[in-house]
Amino acid sequence: MAALKKKEVVKAEEGEIYDVELSEDLLKANQRLAEENRQFLHKNGVRAIDVMGAIGSGKTSLIEKLVQLLKVKHRIAVFKGDLTTTIDAELIARHGVETIAINTGKECHLDANLVKKALQKLNLNNVDLLLIENVGNLICPAEFPLGSDKRVVVVSVTEGPYMVVKHPFIFMEADVVAINKVDLADAMGVDVKQLEKDVKRINPRAIVVATNGRTGEGVGDVAKALEL
Amino acid sequence: MHEFSVTSQIVRSVLEEAEKRKAKKVTEVHLVIGKLTFLGLEQVRFAYEALTKGTIMEGSRLLIDEQEGVVKCNHCGYEGGFKYEDDPMYHVPVPTLKCPQCGSVVNIVAGKECTIKSIKMMI
Repeated sequence: MAALKKKEVVKAEEGEIYDVELSEDLLKANQRLAEENRQFLHKNGVRAIDVMGAIGSGKTSLIEKLVQLLKVKHRIAVFKGDLTTTIDAELIARHGVETIAINTGKECHLDANLVKKALQKLNLNNVDLLLIENVGNLICPAEFPLGSDKRVVVVSVTEGPYMVVKHPFIFMEADVVAINKVDLADAMGVDVKQLEKDVKRINPRAIVVATNGRTGEGVGDVAKALEL
Repeated sequence: MHEFSVTSQIVRSVLEEAEKRKAKKVTEVHLVIGKLTFLGLEQVRFAYEALTKGTIMEGSRLLIDEQEGVVKCNHCGYEGGFKYEDDPMYHVPVPTLKCPQCGSVVNIVAGKECTIKSIKMMI
């Protein structure tokens, strides 16, 4: 049998143009980390909920009410994302649940890496439910999954009647949408039913709940929609 | 929204790749950016130019392919573009996760990528 020929090696010559196929997805890095977070949380028996929404939509109030409602049933921890300050984190911590402030500095969203770092500070033996409040923003958080099981979007009537159709992609990410501050709908001239229709049109899978984060109205339904 | 930080990552990855191969110059970078990302192409180009200045990537050609959003229906098997619903109330068609064929809820399968497809460099 003839001897095998030496494997030929193709080498680029001096000055030659060399074409490198890379196929590296830069957003995938975050998605991979998010998947790691998800598996880590599941291994430790923790369910995680990511709460997104515009600045001032009422995410913190809603989380406070959820904590009050659920702390008898669940061992809750809260991650509170903000550019700076621990004001909101302290509001939540008053309810006697472990709260970790994640200050992003300048970033307009939480990412999987920040959540991973926060998870290292948490004793997961004492937790079975993690509520993560994202930075107030209706755009960027949609692009950065964190590894939560469900995602909630809070949109308040004070943001006007067109918020949902103007930001369709974040609503596509939502499992539950809370239309908040419904007590102000009349004063704002905003039709809650129309907002709900807009959400259902964009994402028929989403469960829509009308809420009032000050009184707690509808918060039980949010918990139910999240199967908590 | 994150054009500058994402483009910095792109430039860093390309330079690393070029260094591994001891390239003298990068002549072309080919990206694929999904239409469902929040990356504006004009801002990406602007950031690319600014960030490559003074590196072996300066003056390289930046090719960007846009990837359309693609959805898949597990119910009827449809795979293709989004369904947009027109509503006279709003001035633009609103995208929806309803299957254009059967109305079931679809899953997004493409359009969220931001990929360096290939790099041309001089060795």
